[in-house]
Amino acid sequence: MSCGKDLIRIVVAEPEIIARAAAAEAKGLRSDAFYWRFVATALSFAVFGCSALLLSLTVLPLLRLLPRERCQRYSRIVLQRGMRAFIGVMYGLGTLTYEFQGTQRLGRAGQLIVANHPSLIDVIFLIAFTPQADCIVKQAMFRNLLTRSVVRGAGYIGNGQAVDMIEGAAATLRSGQCLIMFPEGTRTRPGQPLTLHRGAANVAVRAASIVTPVYIRCVPTTLTKSEPWYRIPLRRPHFSLQVGEDFELGAFHDMASIPVASRAFNECLRARFEGELQRLNGYTPGQPAVARPA
Amino acid sequence: MQTYDEILARIRATLVELFELPAQSVRPEARLLEDLEIDSIDVVDLMEHVRRHTGRKVTATDFRSVRTVDDLVNVVQRLLSS
Repeated sequence: MSCGKDLIRIVVAEPEIIARAAAAEAKGLRSDAFYWRFVATALSFAVFGCSALLLSLTVLPLLRLLPRERCQRYSRIVLQRGMRAFIGVMYGLGTLTYEFQGTQRLGRAGQLIVANHPSLIDVIFLIAFTPQADCIVKQAMFRNLLTRSVVRGAGYIGNGQAVDMIEGAAATLRSGQCLIMFPEGTRTRPGQPLTLHRGAANVAVRAASIVTPVYIRCVPTTLTKSEPWYRIPLRRPHFSLQVGEDFELGAFHDMASIPVASRAFNECLRARFEGELQRLNGYTPGQPAVARPA
Repeated sequence: MQTYDEILARIRATLVELFELPAQSVRPEARLLEDLEIDSIDVVDLMEHVRRHTGRKVTATDFRSVRTVDDLVNVVQRLLSS
C-alpha cells in the first residue's frame, strides 16, 4: 500500500467482531471484555499518574538545569516518547484501538495544527505523534507544584490572559516551531453543533506558515466532557485520527485587518470540520482516508 | 491634549477599520462584547493598534476593566496624558 508508511497503526478488529459488538451495544449489552476494560482503564489512569509523577520529580526538573532552548527540546522529546509509550500501554491493555493517518505531515516549521476535541485523550495522540510540539495548557498547570516545572520546561503556553496566549502562540509559530490548538477551546459536546472560539483562527492568520487540520473521531464516545472515567463504553472505543489537507491562507492575509480575517477564517475552519467530520461518520475504520493531497 | 470627542472619533474610525462595524453603532454606551461582538481575542488586536498609534506602552492591565466604548475612550485618554 502506497500510504503504508503513514498509517501508523491499523489495529481494528475483524469487521465481524466490530459488527457483533455494535449489535450488542444496540441492545445495551456489554462486550469486548467489558469488565477487563474497566480494570484496564483504571490501570491506565494509574500508570499515567505514576509516570507523570515520576518524570516530573526526576528527569524533567533535571533538564531545567540546561540552557532554556535545550531544556525545551529535551523536555518535549521526553513528553512525546512518554505519550507514545502511554498509548502503547492503553492499546496493549485493551482499553482502545486506534489509527492515525498522515502523521508524516505533522511537525513542520511554523505549522499550526488544529483538531476537534471529542475526548480527554486527544491531546495525548497529538503530542505523541508531533515532533517538538508546543501546546496551550490550562493556566492552573503553571501554578500546580507538580506540573509547573514540566510546562515551564517544555515551554508550553498558558491560557490565562488572552493577550499572553495569542502573543505566545504567535511567537512560537514565528520562531518556526509547531503548535497544537483545539479551536473548540474545550471538549466537544456530543450531538451539539460545532462552535469554535476565535483564538485559533486569530493565531492562524496572524502568524502561522501552515495550518493543518486533524479530524478526530472516537466510536463509541469515551472520556467526553460529561462522562466520568469509570463510565466506560459498552464496547471497545476506536480512535480514527486523520491529518487533513492544509488550509490556503493567502486570501485571509489580503484582508483588511486581523479581526476581519480571523472571523472569516474561523468560519472556513468550522465549515471544513463540519463537512469532514460528517464524511468521517460514514468511514470504515482501517481504510485509507479518501481525499488526500498529493 | 485631545478632547474626549476627538479621541472618540479616532476610536470610532479604528473600530470601523478593524472590525468593519457601521460607524453609528460605535456610541459611548455601546458594550464591546454584547453590542459590538468584540471579544477578549479582538481586544488583543485593539491593544496592538492603540500601541502603534499612540506610541505608548499598553498592557492587558490597562484594558482589564474596559467594558464599553466610553471605558475605552477613558483608557486611551489616560494613556495619552500619562
